[in-house]
Amino acid sequence: MIYTIYHKTSFKYQSMVSFSHNIARLQPQESRFQKLRQFSMEITPQPFESNDFKDVYGNDNKHILIREPHKELTVIGKSRVEIFPELIEENIVALQKNSISYKDALQRLTNFHVDDVEAKEFLFESELITKASKEIREYALESFQPTRDLYEAALEFMERIFKDFAFVSGFSDITTPIEEIFKAKKGVCQDFAQFAIAALRSIGLPAKYMSGYIETLPPEGEEKLFGVDASHAWFALYIPNAGWAEFDPTNNMVPREQHIKLGSGKDYYDISPLKGVVLSSGSSHLNVMVDVRREKEPKEFSMQSQSKESKEQVQNQF
Amino acid sequence: MSIFESYQSDSSFDEIYDADGNIKEYWKEILQSVESAGDALLKSKQEDIEWHIESNGVTFNSYESSKKSTNRYWSMDPIPFVIQEEEWDELTLGLQQRAKLLNLILKDLYSERKLIKENIIPAEVVFGHKGYAKEVYNLGSLENFSLQFYATDIARGPDGRFWVISDKTQAPSGLGYAIENRLTMNAISKEIYPDIQIKKLYPFIEDYKNQLKKLSGDDLSKAAILTPGVHNQTYFEHAYLSAHLQVNLVQGADLLSKNGSLWLKSLSGLKEINTLIRRVDDRYCDPLELKSSSQLGVAGAVDALRQGNLNMLNPIGSAILENAGLNPFMEKIAEYFLQEKLILPQIATWWCGQPKELAFVLENIQKFIIKKIDRTEKVEIYFVSKLSAEELESLKASLQNAPHQYVAQEEMHFSTVPYYKNELLEPRNAVIRTFSVKKDESYSVMKGGLVRVSASKDTLLLSSQQGGTSKDLWILSNQEEISYAYDFSIYSPYVETAIQNIPTLKAENLFWFGRYLARSIVTARLISHLIKRITNFYRYEIDTSKEAQEILQKALTHMTMTYPGFLGEINKETMERFPMTEIRSVIKDSNRVGSLSFTVSMLKNTHTNLKDLLTLESSKLFDRLDRNWQLFLGRKKESTLYIANDVEQFLIYIMAYKELVKESIFKEQGLTLYVIGYKIESALLLISVMRSVVCMKVDKYIEYDLLESLLKTQESFNAYRAYYKSSLTLENVLDFLVLHSQFPKSLSYMISELLAAFKELPKAKEYVTSYEKPMLEAQGLLKDVSMKTLLETQEEDGVYVDLDTLFGDLSALFLKCSDEFSHTYFSHYDE
Repeated sequence: MIYTIYHKTSFKYQSMVSFSHNIARLQPQESRFQKLRQFSMEITPQPFESNDFKDVYGNDNKHILIREPHKELTVIGKSRVEIFPELIEENIVALQKNSISYKDALQRLTNFHVDDVEAKEFLFESELITKASKEIREYALESFQPTRDLYEAALEFMERIFKDFAFVSGFSDITTPIEEIFKAKKGVCQDFAQFAIAALRSIGLPAKYMSGYIETLPPEGEEKLFGVDASHAWFALYIPNAGWAEFDPTNNMVPREQHIKLGSGKDYYDISPLKGVVLSSGSSHLNVMVDVRREKEPKEFSMQSQSKESKEQVQNQF
Repeated sequence: MSIFESYQSDSSFDEIYDADGNIKEYWKEILQSVESAGDALLKSKQEDIEWHIESNGVTFNSYESSKKSTNRYWSMDPIPFVIQEEEWDELTLGLQQRAKLLNLILKDLYSERKLIKENIIPAEVVFGHKGYAKEVYNLGSLENFSLQFYATDIARGPDGRFWVISDKTQAPSGLGYAIENRLTMNAISKEIYPDIQIKKLYPFIEDYKNQLKKLSGDDLSKAAILTPGVHNQTYFEHAYLSAHLQVNLVQGADLLSKNGSLWLKSLSGLKEINTLIRRVDDRYCDPLELKSSSQLGVAGAVDALRQGNLNMLNPIGSAILENAGLNPFMEKIAEYFLQEKLILPQIATWWCGQPKELAFVLENIQKFIIKKIDRTEKVEIYFVSKLSAEELESLKASLQNAPHQYVAQEEMHFSTVPYYKNELLEPRNAVIRTFSVKKDESYSVMKGGLVRVSASKDTLLLSSQQGGTSKDLWILSNQEEISYAYDFSIYSPYVETAIQNIPTLKAENLFWFGRYLARSIVTARLISHLIKRITNFYRYEIDTSKEAQEILQKALTHMTMTYPGFLGEINKETMERFPMTEIRSVIKDSNRVGSLSFTVSMLKNTHTNLKDLLTLESSKLFDRLDRNWQLFLGRKKESTLYIANDVEQFLIYIMAYKELVKESIFKEQGLTLYVIGYKIESALLLISVMRSVVCMKVDKYIEYDLLESLLKTQESFNAYRAYYKSSLTLENVLDFLVLHSQFPKSLSYMISELLAAFKELPKAKEYVTSYEKPMLEAQGLLKDVSMKTLLETQEEDGVYVDLDTLFGDLSALFLKCSDEFSHTYFSHYDE
């Protein structure tokens, strides 16, 4: 299936900015499970120069220099992403099958194993996800008993966050400390993801921040309005012997065909869609608009005459 | 040896004695020299050293008073640390090997990471260390992404060998101090140690410069030292090295990045920089990709590295090598990369990230020193035997909580050396900082070093921050040392000698320096005059016009823009009865923008940033001025007369300072910028005062009073008298202050001076520039003006409308000139 994604991020500045360096990360990462069919980025004002590079986590970064006086910088990413649900499903089955117990996982992580080396980077605190308190650690350990299978434990852990925490927007921003989220038991998807990551790292398991989109559906019978979506975040747990397994605590679900991945990192800062350095007095204001929609499937298996028509439709969209 | 009599009994393990307690052969000549010099000569040489250090301005900023950094002088004693050439040559092999290894580690961790993937070092030692910079991932394979310059701290252990204490890799300091120590020793050693031959430092400096040339593509003008600024601990050294290496000294704000490269903003435009000697810590180098709150770096620096357009000594990410967690694996690493054994011994170290090691450390913890593997955020060292039970428990808990972040090291005793102070010789612990610079496939090691001596006889810990002192390191030479025609004294401090190369930040500082200095002086004069009137200093017979006083007070509010001030409607009556309350606030309230103390603090900032251009006298004078000023600000409730006196004192100092400043700075160093700033500010303030004081039609008596005040606050009263030899008339005074072509303080004169000064700058054009245009317009306005006509018209109004309009227009033109000038020279955004 194919998703069309529109992601607009803009900075509004209080005073005129004549020189600014920015990094935009709006290009969905390719993998075995998703293919980028099409991508374009629109930047206003016109950049003086830009340079693309891949960071250590494989995310696509665009370094943009603007040298034109402006009060607003807008970056729009437009992508078409194809998701392969069968491969995702297969992977989930394999992860479950190869998963090992918490105790065995800790044992293996303490020693050297060539497959685990890169994942170990995700054991440590980062700027936004600092070392969790004893209380958070204990909260996590309730699900992670020594002999319990890691995948199962993670499923339960995800479900507990879903049940114990209320989805409340406006309470927090990305810099709200994890301890505060834990105390208030409320927040939004980024908070739940970062909380889960902090908790998992505190019990010795590598965990990473996943950034992307999720398909939302309008109420029955209504047309979906443009731009009502948002960026989404979830987490991935490294299971030695199995690999990275993803969990979405906001929706209590394992990401399958409704999750489109943008990128990943140790925390939000590693994959924030747009960041910049400007020399200007006064504040700036960030604005975001996201639209995610599933393209209509070509109905190849219905009547022959229609099949041709819908194929043309698909082509027109290129 | 009388002077050493008590010495031997004080020392247990000392550089000068061999295992049997006999003086080592190679120390004998040194000690005999010290002996025969005697107390008197040593003492006088110690004084010479201090004089040299002070007159060369060798300072070390210390942060110990937590908030304010204070400048303190460096210190050194006259007895060198001595090592034989043969021993040093062996040591050199070990240092070269260690440098090569660290370089290979650096390159591997930021490229293939074979060390981790092949289990040579645990991943946690890298990923759990804050110095690991994921942003420079994959740059390790670039040729110049290498450990270019490396400092190692070593000390002699009980087995007689030198041991590695720690590695300094991200921005090693000390080289400048080592050179300065040697130059100071040279000045005194002829008398104390006439016959001793030692190895020279210059071959190393040459190697360093050659490496710098290599990195910069044989163009040292493309290299620069990046300093965090004048408040940094070792700023002296940054300025000093810039002089010796003859490269630019820049701050982050001096640079910008575009086209994937860094550029130095200079008066004539942007100049490419391809090599940075970096004295800013890794994470502060680029607010775009590294620490976003950093003001010390330049946005785009990482990208310039990534695109291969920038070399750094050392590259961002080098902090990962300052890592005590690597020690236990160095032997394995040496085997892996070089198939060699480690030459230099390291202190036995256990990394606690492995369960077996952790258990061992916890069991024997009393024997150990526990250290955090990374010093990136905070240095943590625990001498376990000195901890209380409670502290020990908490340390154990930290170890168990994050074992991979700690190492345990054996406590070791290192040798002492004779240290001379206050006519006494004492054994003190010493650590040598050695310096290596990359040279082709290996490293060149300086034949000398910086010796740091513990602060007191019984302390082991060495830190220059805690008031330690230093020594020169002498490598004795077996043959006559040939002095090449390489003389350190040929170096004079490196300051740009061509005006077009002045970095923009410095240029902007010079411009604002002029503006703040003018503002301080003119504001202080007006205030001083107002207070004198209040205390009836001028002894008028009649109670001088209250009205004149009020007009002048309002002029103060306008000029300093400390609104509402004397213009406010609230408390109007109290203001009129007790004007000193408001005046005191305009003097002392440093939170009030425009107050004299606010202006003086801005002046102080620019002064501090320009110190290297100013003579020592002007700096000392400013220090004294500032000290008195701070005392004055601190005094509460003093009488009006005292305030008058203090403001007067301030004026005397600042006028003297102003004269010294003019003499300090050469035109080619940017004096012109200062002059432009000074003139523009003086003109703006003069216009402001005239506008408040003479544009209103007032009674003749009051007018007379006001004109006198106006001339006095401009220090022009006597000049007027000399010129006109008549009583004060409005027309004459205006002619004098506005139109006079010979009087240096008149607007006309200042405009001509500004126009002449503009021509001295690199962006002067054949055609009229955007900043010259407003001045030419102003000149045009004044050419056609006749004060008489301006004053004659509009009899029925209370205001000289045309005069007021003229002042309004002139003020706008000067502001425009200042803006356009700043835009042309300081912004660079359209280049």
